Order: sequence, then structure tokens, then C-alpha cells
Amino acid sequence: MTPTRWTGRNLGLVVPGALAVLLVLLALAAPLVAPYDPAAGRLADRLLDPGSPGHPLGTDGQGRDLLSRLVWAGRASLTGGLVPVTVATVAGTLLGIAAGLGGRLTEQALLRTLDVLYAFPGVLLAIAVASLLTPGLGATVLALSVVLTPAVARVAFTETRRIRSSEYLEAARVSGAGWGALVLRQVVPVVAPVVLVYASSLVGLAVVYAAGLSFLGLGVAPPTAEWGAMLDELRPSLLTHPWVAVLPALVILAVSVVFNTLGEALRTRIGDAAAHLPRATPAAARRAAKQVTR
Amino acid sequence: MSSGAPDPTNREAGGPPGALLEVETLGVEYPGGVRAVDGVSLALRAGGALVLLGESGSGKTTVARTVLGLPGRGAVVTGAVRLAGTDLRALDERALSDVRGRRIGYVPQDPSSSLDPLRRIGPQLAEVLRRHGVADGRRAARAAVPGLLATAGVPDPERVARAYPHELSGGLRQRAAIALAICCGPELLIADEPTTALDALVRGRILDLFTTLRADCGIALLLVTHDLAVARRIGGTVAVMRAGRVVELGPAERVLGDPDHSFTAALVAAEPGARR
Amino acid sequence: MTRFLLRRLLLAVPTLLGVTVVVFATVALVPGDPVAAFLGPGAPPGARQELTERLGLDQPLPVRYADWLGHALTGDLGTSISGQRPVADLLFPALGQTLTLTAAAFLLVLAGGVALGALGALRPRGPGGRISGALSTLAVSAPQYSVALLLIAVFAVGLRWLPAGGTHDVFGSGGPADLARHLVLPAVAAALVPLGLTARVFRASLGTVLAGELADSLRARGLRPAAVLRHCVHNASPALLTIGGLQLAYLLEGVVFVETLFAWPGIGRLLYDALTARDLPLVQGGVLVVAVAFVGVNLLVDAAHAAIDPRVRA
Repeated sequence: MTPTRWTGRNLGLVVPGALAVLLVLLALAAPLVAPYDPAAGRLADRLLDPGSPGHPLGTDGQGRDLLSRLVWAGRASLTGGLVPVTVATVAGTLLGIAAGLGGRLTEQALLRTLDVLYAFPGVLLAIAVASLLTPGLGATVLALSVVLTPAVARVAFTETRRIRSSEYLEAARVSGAGWGALVLRQVVPVVAPVVLVYASSLVGLAVVYAAGLSFLGLGVAPPTAEWGAMLDELRPSLLTHPWVAVLPALVILAVSVVFNTLGEALRTRIGDAAAHLPRATPAAARRAAKQVTR
Repeated sequence: MSSGAPDPTNREAGGPPGALLEVETLGVEYPGGVRAVDGVSLALRAGGALVLLGESGSGKTTVARTVLGLPGRGAVVTGAVRLAGTDLRALDERALSDVRGRRIGYVPQDPSSSLDPLRRIGPQLAEVLRRHGVADGRRAARAAVPGLLATAGVPDPERVARAYPHELSGGLRQRAAIALAICCGPELLIADEPTTALDALVRGRILDLFTTLRADCGIALLLVTHDLAVARRIGGTVAVMRAGRVVELGPAERVLGDPDHSFTAALVAAEPGARR
Repeated sequence: MTRFLLRRLLLAVPTLLGVTVVVFATVALVPGDPVAAFLGPGAPPGARQELTERLGLDQPLPVRYADWLGHALTGDLGTSISGQRPVADLLFPALGQTLTLTAAAFLLVLAGGVALGALGALRPRGPGGRISGALSTLAVSAPQYSVALLLIAVFAVGLRWLPAGGTHDVFGSGGPADLARHLVLPAVAAALVPLGLTARVFRASLGTVLAGELADSLRARGLRPAAVLRHCVHNASPALLTIGGLQLAYLLEGVVFVETLFAWPGIGRLLYDALTARDLPLVQGGVLVVAVAFVGVNLLVDAAHAAIDPRVRA
């Protein structure tokens, strides 16, 4: 085995990957890592600036320690990002494969539905769905799952179509293989890597959307600690205590950069089918570009 | 059969010194140590024809492009390239751009990727005419376009001038590319596999066009190909290339009819329809 | 060209219909009893029946949909519960404000994205390339609300260079300069993500063109480096229009947050307020208008793409 070298390319994958794992671990280990109880606050200590004794990142409007809250909030925020991506991956793959293997009717049904869903800017759709539900982590997860599934379905569909016209499938069918075995052994191994790479690039986006929904009051609500919700809570203090108010914003930004860099690195390493450059139909190219960059 | 080294004075190919194009021990090396061209020397007299014949990877295209000063990214070039005495390698990019298109015309292999797909044919031609000062102003340039297309054998030149490249057939596209290459009356025309992307029927006509251009306008032709039939049809001098070197050099009938070098012989024998 | 446009218009119709269905269904499915909410407790028994009939809520869903759609097409989007005015009266001025902000952000996206992308394409392995890559990733990852808050904290509160919100100073002179001052921060906040995206795509596209056959052919014709670059940029630009619709999506998404944070009186803020007040007709009308506008602008993007790249028209 040739030893892996510490090249720039490898570092570009290892560093964000390690950071991402670190973030998840921190969130999981919140009870151990956070110095204070995130729900306990002393009003006498409200809105202390970062660097104050005992509170390295300051306190919020109710005197709760920000460092502890931010660490605990990681649980809700990362869940709000990772769970929808997982759900969308599974649901989208199933839908995409089903449409890819199905007849003309299923294909058209899927494509037209995707067209309609793509007619809404993503956040708008998330808002529309979330507003139907009672605020909470569940609302976030459900809304984002709905928003992300079509994108994954598209990727899975395109890959399935690509193999469908290959001869492996024909040969297997002719030899009497049942659909179930066929899908498991022929289709999934080819579709899965592409879908997984694409899905990994969605995590950053999902975390941002999840926090955004909470910020708008549609997702996780106070007093639960969640980065977007904290942003909303601290907003009134923006003009008077800006450095405290922007902390959740910085955290979300940092987390987003880490996951996006990881997704990019994975994508360039494994490579992906959809091209960056224009294709003949603007709509088809748009869809392809969405897969690459959304 | 002898595997003779190429004749360094190149009397057979170019004739007396003062040839139009002289290439002297040209070497081109790419990053990673790949020597695409190794010690190649050629000469071409005014109005003459020289065919660089070889398989893919033989370095023939690299020689052609290096003459133009476009060897590719990261290339390290050694040796000399002279056009009517002017050392092309000593020129900076600006001076070289004056030579390209004006004194040397280039017909690339695939007209689909060498013509700007976003502009019509006419404006592309007119632009080159104005750039080299052959036409003064837009109106004059535009007026000259149909005539130039006609010289390249384009039927209905007005329609073609108004067309986009993707609206034309392969043969018409290649003729448009040729018009672009000769529009400023160059002394030398370099054609890189000009017929490879074309149908057999069209191929012959394009090759005849080259012969006509040589006869009517006195343009010298440096043609790169892997196809022996093309080499035969063009005639003139043939330089057989292999692995970056010229292995045989001489008049077409002699080299292809009675080759000295074993490689050339193998090429000729491998040609479909060859007599054994 | 006209045939292409007509075809695209025709194809947009079923999409638009689907959009109206989704919008209608979303609001119709909201749990809760609007009639009870409207009347409040202590209403006489017959009032409920009367109101239900008057609002048409006793009709089957498809009939309600057709009715709503019919009204919407004539410009009647219902009455806002919280604003007590026709929804259309509230929406269209707000749309104008949003379009102003979106246009400003779009200019930033185009200028910044092309510049950053070109920087990366011209010297990919040099410092320019690395800066371009890093900034693009940073920009793409920058959630609009985070950026908005950071900008306010730094420029409005910290440095006091720019205003923290609104479209005009309350006691100011008004006019374009004032508007421009108020546009800067929100436009930047909304523009960052699409800018990063544009930079990435343009860098890839221009890089490919510069290294390709066309560039060499142009040089072989003797065109000067400036002209070669110009034509390469021209050939790299269709890629931008391909993702134009996507950028627009990111812009509009960002608008909801940016308008809320900067108190910009556009549709985004209107929607946010409507959601908070559970003003369903307003939410419905707002989402519909945004979605339709989105489809419309996408059509324009397709038209521009066909105008630049003739191969698309085929």
C-alpha cells in the first residue's frame, strides 16, 4: 500500500473532515463540555461582553452563558441540518430510482412535479411548509426534508436513467432476475456514490436553512438553544451590544464554511457527472447546474 | 533497408538556403519530461508543399503549432524557427501576433471548435481583415468577405457569411476556416489534419482546394496528417515522423513508393489496399 | 428566436398552474379554524353559518381553487386580515421595493462574480487563483442573515458609516444618493451567496475556454491578447446564464431575511410580518406573486441565454 502523502489536496479533504467531526462530537458532548447550564441565567449578569470573567463569550439577554448555549445549540442546529439531509437522501434515492426505472408516465410525472417545486425559491418552500406546522425541531426537519428531496431525486433519477440504457441491466433482466434483486445489486451500487457525494454538499446548506427557519420563528423556538433562534433572541440587542449579538451569526458562518468546504473537497475528489458548462436546453442545463451547486 | 538519419542540409526538401520556412533542430519538451519533438529539422521553399506524416503522438502537430508559437502550456522549446529569414522564436508575443494570420495562416483540425460559435462567419472574417490592416474600416471589411469565402470554394458566400458555425455542414465550416486562414494573403499555410473530421467525398475537394491555392496564390503549404492517401494527393515533400523525430524525408512518390526507412515501409504496407 | 420564446412561454403555463395549486393547497391546509378566529367567542349561532357561506368555505376544494384562481387572474387577491386592505394594494408597492433591492444585489453579483471568477481563471495556480477559490467558498457559505447582522454590527453600529435600516433617512433629503446609502448593506448581504456561485462557475467556464481550441485558433488568426480575452469571456458567459435562474433563487431567498433585518419594506418583510400575524390571504398572495415573478424572470434569463448563444435556439 502506498502511504498517503500530506499533499495540499489530501489536506483539503482531511482538515474540513476533521473539523466537521469535531463539531458533531462537541454537540454530542455538550453536557460534558459546556461550563454552565444553558437554561440558567442570572439577570444581574445580562448582556456581558465577550471576555468577561467567568463568561468567555459573554451572556445573553437573560444572563445565560453564551458559550454553553452555543455548544448546546449545536445539537438542535446540526440535527436540523443532518436529519433532513439523511431523510432526503433516502426518500430522494427511492423516488429517483423508481422514476428512472418506471415507464414514461412516471418519468413525466416526476419531472413536471420537480419543475413546479423548482419554481419556488428554496427558502420560500421551506417557509410555506413550516408555516403549516407547529414550530419546533420537527417542523424544521419536515420542511427541509420536503425542500431537499426533489434535488436528490433528480440526481438519483439521472444516474438511474444512465444505467438503464446500459446492457448490464438488460442482461440481468433477460436472465430472469427479479426487480428487487436487480435494484439492489445493479442500480444502487452505481447510484449511491453519486447521491452520497451530492448529499454531503447539502449539509452546509441544510444547517443554514434550519437556523434560518428558527430565526423566522418557524423552527425551533426559545427557550431551546438553537443558533438561529439565538440570533433572533439577541437581535434586539444588536444596536447596543453588537459583539454579543453577532456571535451566533459567526458560528453559523463557520459551520457552514466547514461543511461546504468538505462537500467541495469530496466532490472534486470523486468527481461528478453533471457538467459545469452549458448544455443544449437551458432548462436541462439549469437543472444540471442546480445539482452541482445547490 | 537502411534507417538513415535525416539529411541535415535538407537539400531534397527545401532546395537552396533562403527557403521560406526553416526549422532547425527543434525540440519541444513538456512538464514531466515528455519530449514531444526531438531534433527536428525541415525546410520549405516558397510555394512548395511539405507533408508531416505520422501516427498520433508522433509530434507532427506539435511541430506545426510550435512554428506558430503556440506549443501549449508549459512547453520548453529549443532550436530555431525562421520564416523568410526572420527568427520567429526571438519575437515577443505582440510581434508574433502580427505574423500569425498575416504571414502564416493556420487551419485547425476541427472547425467546430475553432470557429467562434457565438458569432456569425462574416464578422469573424471581417475582424481578421481589420486587425491586419488588409481592409480599412468595417464597411470595406464586410464587403471583402463574400469574395474571400468564394476563393475558399464556398457556394452562396452571402448566405454563409450571415450564418452561425453550427448552421453549416462540416465541409462548409472547414472552408470558412480556410478562408479565415488565407484572408490576409499569407506566404505560408499550416493545415493540421484538415480533412480528418470530414466525409470522404468532401475530403478530396478540400485537398484540391489547397492545390488550387498553391497554384493561384503561390502559398506554401505545411500539412499535418496521419493519412497516406492525403500525403499522396498533396504530393510535394513528405517528412515521416515517429516518436518526435523525422525518420525519413523526401519527395512524396519516392518516400511512399519506395521507402528507405523500415517504419515508413511498415506504414505503407499497413495502408488498406496496399499491395504486398 | 421568436419561435423559441413562444415555445418556452407555452411550457411555462403548466408550471405556473402547478405553482398556483401548490400555493392554494398550502394555505387551504393550514390547521385552525379561520371562521372561529375571525368571529371570536360569543358570536351568535347563525353568524358562523353566514360567514362560512360568505367566505365560500363550504364549497368543495376544487371549486374554491377555481374561484380563487379566477379572482387572482383579475388582480383580486383577497383582503389582508391584518392590513384591512386589498392584498394587491399591499403587495405591488412592496414588490417594487424588492425589485430595487434585487436589482442592486444582482449588479453586485454580476460585477463581483465575474471579476472574482476571472481572477481565478487567468492564473489558476497563482495567488490569484487561491484567493479566488477561498473567497468563493466563503461567499457561498455566507448565510444572508449572518452576513446582514455582521454588516450591521460592523458598519452601522461599530463604524457608523452606513445606516442600519430603512430605505431613506427619516429627516434626510431623500433622493438617489440617500437611497444608495441605504441600499449598500442589504444588497451586499443578499448578494454574497450568488456572487460566490457566479465566481465559481465563471472561473471554471473561462478556464476551460482559455485552455481550449478556440483560444488557440483566435491567437492563430493574429488577434491581440485583449481581443482573444474578450472573445473568451464572451464564450464563457453562457455558463453564467445557465445558472442565472439558480442565482435568482438564492437572491430571492436571501431577500426574505435581508429585508426583515434591514427593515426594507419589500415583499420579504411583508411575508414575514404576514406569517407572524397569520394573515393567510396576504401570505397566499405574497407567495404567489413571488413564485410567478420567479418563473417570469427565469423566462427572461432563458431568453437572454438564447440571445447570446445561438445554439440554444435550435
